[in-house]
Amino acid sequence: MEAAGVAGVEPTRARVLSLLAERWLFAFLALETLYFCFAAEGFANPNSLQILLFYGVEIFLLAMAELFVIVTGGIDLSVGYVLGLASIVGTKLIGALAGAGVPPAAALALGAALTLAVGILPGLVNGWLVAYLDVPPFIATFSMLGVCHGVSELIIEGVYAMGLPPLAAELGSGHLLYYAPGAGMSFLARPEVERGTEVWEIVPNVVVLAAVVIAALWFALSRTRFGRHVYAVGGNRDAALRAGIPVRRRLLAVYALSAGLASLAGLAYALKYVSGKADAGAGSLLDSIAAVMIGGASMFGGSGTVGRTVAGCLVIAVLELGLRMRGTPTFDKYVLVGVILVGAVVIERWLPGKGR
Amino acid sequence: MKRSSLAGLLLAVGGALPGPVTAAPKILFMPGVADPFYFTMEKGIKAKAAELGAELVVAEYPKAWGPEHQIPILQATIARQKFDLLLVAPTSTDALKAPLKAIYEKGVEIITVDTFLGDGDYSKKSDYSFPLAYIGSDNELGGRLMAEHLARLVGEKGKVFVEATNPDTSSVQGRVKGFKEGIAKFPNMKLVGVEWCQDVQQKAQEQTLAALQRDKDIVGIFGTNVFSAQGSYQAVVNAGLTGAVKIASWDATQELIAALKKGQVDLVLAQKPAEMGALAVEWGVKYLQDRKNVKVPKKVIPGFEFFTKANVDDPKMQQFIYK
Amino acid sequence: MNEGATTAAELAPGSRGGGFLESRAGRALARNWSAWFLLLLLVTFSFTGRNFLSIGNFQHVVHLQTLPLLLAAAETLVIVTGGIDLSIGFVAGLASVTAAKLMQLLAAAGLPAGAVIALGAAGALVLSLLPGLVNGLVITRFRVPPFIATLGMWGIANGLALKLSEGFPVAGLPGALPRLGNGYVVYLLPGEFLSFLGPPAGFPEGRIREVWRLVPFSLVFVAAVLAALAFVLRRGRFGRHTYAIGGSVDAALRAGIDVRRHLVWIYVLASGLAGLAGVFNVFQTGIGNYTTFSAMYELFAVAAVVIGGASLSGGKGRVLGSAVGVLVLAFLQNGLAISGVQPFYRYIAVGVLLVIAVVIDKLFPDLR
Repeated sequence: MEAAGVAGVEPTRARVLSLLAERWLFAFLALETLYFCFAAEGFANPNSLQILLFYGVEIFLLAMAELFVIVTGGIDLSVGYVLGLASIVGTKLIGALAGAGVPPAAALALGAALTLAVGILPGLVNGWLVAYLDVPPFIATFSMLGVCHGVSELIIEGVYAMGLPPLAAELGSGHLLYYAPGAGMSFLARPEVERGTEVWEIVPNVVVLAAVVIAALWFALSRTRFGRHVYAVGGNRDAALRAGIPVRRRLLAVYALSAGLASLAGLAYALKYVSGKADAGAGSLLDSIAAVMIGGASMFGGSGTVGRTVAGCLVIAVLELGLRMRGTPTFDKYVLVGVILVGAVVIERWLPGKGR
Repeated sequence: MKRSSLAGLLLAVGGALPGPVTAAPKILFMPGVADPFYFTMEKGIKAKAAELGAELVVAEYPKAWGPEHQIPILQATIARQKFDLLLVAPTSTDALKAPLKAIYEKGVEIITVDTFLGDGDYSKKSDYSFPLAYIGSDNELGGRLMAEHLARLVGEKGKVFVEATNPDTSSVQGRVKGFKEGIAKFPNMKLVGVEWCQDVQQKAQEQTLAALQRDKDIVGIFGTNVFSAQGSYQAVVNAGLTGAVKIASWDATQELIAALKKGQVDLVLAQKPAEMGALAVEWGVKYLQDRKNVKVPKKVIPGFEFFTKANVDDPKMQQFIYK
Repeated sequence: MNEGATTAAELAPGSRGGGFLESRAGRALARNWSAWFLLLLLVTFSFTGRNFLSIGNFQHVVHLQTLPLLLAAAETLVIVTGGIDLSIGFVAGLASVTAAKLMQLLAAAGLPAGAVIALGAAGALVLSLLPGLVNGLVITRFRVPPFIATLGMWGIANGLALKLSEGFPVAGLPGALPRLGNGYVVYLLPGEFLSFLGPPAGFPEGRIREVWRLVPFSLVFVAAVLAALAFVLRRGRFGRHTYAIGGSVDAALRAGIDVRRHLVWIYVLASGLAGLAGVFNVFQTGIGNYTTFSAMYELFAVAAVVIGGASLSGGKGRVLGSAVGVLVLAFLQNGLAISGVQPFYRYIAVGVLLVIAVVIDKLFPDLR
């Protein structure tokens, strides 16, 4: 505004601002990362990124689950407790198979496959209720939340699930690459070193798993007919029906996918924390929906992308980690997270060219 | 001002004297969950650390109980700077083994406070025997003692009920398990139900009232933490059953002590969070100053105190109230 | 004192609202599956649950639902406009702690108990409007989606409540609080006395359970608030505008409604209702309680509103419907518990029964 007198500046400035508005989410992510690199002790270190990704795996997967459901105009409240159920079923199954003499690697693969098969069931029920019986997604998945919670508690009987073979822990907390100055590199296995020696751990295994899955989901949502159908269902259901899209089948598939991703997150939980419990994902529900919304999706369906949802997850994760490493006292941190997240979106909306 | 110059003087003197001299040891406290018990523990740790001239960092309090909440905070905080001593309340006996072991390997000494790794016995060789010590409360024992005290209060007969918090919290499960075992020793007593209020006082109140409605002859209720105890005694007050139904509560907050004075609660178990914290700092710092000669006991259980109407005004008991 | 004033002022429109309801009670019930379902639950549990069917039990359940009822009413207003308010649970906690802290301060300043309670409650109520004002302004002036704006406030209100209380329940408040919050209108001991607003002076506390205590203060209070809200939403211009915005913002704008201003009011009102719930909580428990993370009050409030017939896409929903939603969830828990269904089976049963009820409703549209 003040620069209006100088010819040529105004258009450039407007262009920059609207470009910033367009890419604000990513710009904000860069800004906050940069800020914490200076403001938080120890944050400017590749290790921070690994911590962030490793502990974020469940949220990333749950956010993907919510993304698909939210694009169809629904919501899935059950993902957190489906995650918990899968962490328990996975731990018990893999433990039982290994205990029965199945070689650990086979027990892990078989147990994981069975867990995913079981974990999709709640999603199939949700999808059936929503797509074929017209139950509002909120009620269907709210009820499923309770069912999964109850079943989980009944399975574990008050002691969280455990008994995974050591291989599970090695995989779950393991990294692709290790480097110990002086002792050299090694793949997948941590080198034996003396206490007090620094070992570089590079790329956690579960992060690789999540990255592969998210890449596949990106492809499915943005490059396939299935993806186009999902947007169509959320954009305008009647139009989708008229266009000959099997709306009900697509909805069923989306809710099943949601539960499948939540179960995968449950398996990741089990491997990372070598145990399973009912409320393992209870705290992640709101965060995962928030990530999708910050990524620009609408509660009413039809919009949202994988890339922006990943960015939404990262915005939250960087903020949490950064404030933590700045040593912000707990209660102040709750306030700051709220203020900063809302502030970020306020700026996005305030920038020109984003008016809706 | 005065303190720092005093410290400087001590350092200068220390430099001239023979013997072990270390810079102020850096301590990290990693609590289990955001609740009054750990807030009180922090106060004990803070006071002792200041007294011994140690530098203290308190990690963020996890929102809820569980390794998925605690470990990310622990890793982020430990990555910030180098610590000499970690005081941690493990939220899982298994999930914390590997991360704590890795932290130990980097050269940090570890004391587990309140809760433990594995079975809590660090004296025998195992994959979790690396911590210096476990300083905490025996939840199962507490539950059993609670059952015995409550049984005595109600004349060793009748129905009792447990209002617990979250079935996924191991320490709470320990209390419930111990209480069940304790009650089972009395042939004329019967446990009619265990409810879980998820740390919501409102829910505790609803559940207790439903239990009282179903079993009109309940004579005693055990509330396993602040929120469940508050909810259950208020339900009893609402039902007009004060005195007829005895309330045993875990955790001695000021509110519960006030209710005890009013006769609305009959028995309050105090853990000693502040003492646990202070002991952990004391032993940890002692060990850091002389690793070779200091033998830290592997297990320290400060035990419990029971508040009743008879001793609640005793000046010696006041230190056990959580503040 | 404060409470009495509210009750007196709002009972008048409330009673007219009752008349309106009566005339169309049948239709209202028929339109609403949740009301049928609630009725069915009450009848079923009366057979399956020992002592379920008793005035005492019903009064207790409704009394303890005061906070959820107020939160659901707040959430209804917002959901009707097509928004959502995730912050109400923690705003209630913040109001509870604020009221308690104010009362502590006032008591320390030497004020008499009555003034302490009235001023503390009023102060907290006024302050509880602020989160809503911020929510409303952020949502309307900057077009931030309600989900994000109120999720931000979710954390802010929670952090402030914890800071204020230092993580401990705020105790040491005037003893009159829980007596007021848990009192009844009628006290009757057949053959001995009938008294109002309290047992006769000198009646031993230990014998209180022999007394018939009828009509909790909380019931009068919550009924008055809900009736007033229902009336405003059903009859007034305010209500028409609210539904119009929820139906279509564009149409509402074309009709000349100041949508922004109206939405700010809606969020302020929701926040104030949450504050009212929090302040009531101090009266009910005698303690200032911050809301714990696991409470998930907002989730249950939204669930009750949806069960009560509202749609998350806006334009639909009724305060009394949401109240039925709250009672459905409460009586499901209470009835199953009294019928002896163990906790973990109960989690499952609540989910299954809820879905079955909705499915039956959808399968037989003629029931409506």
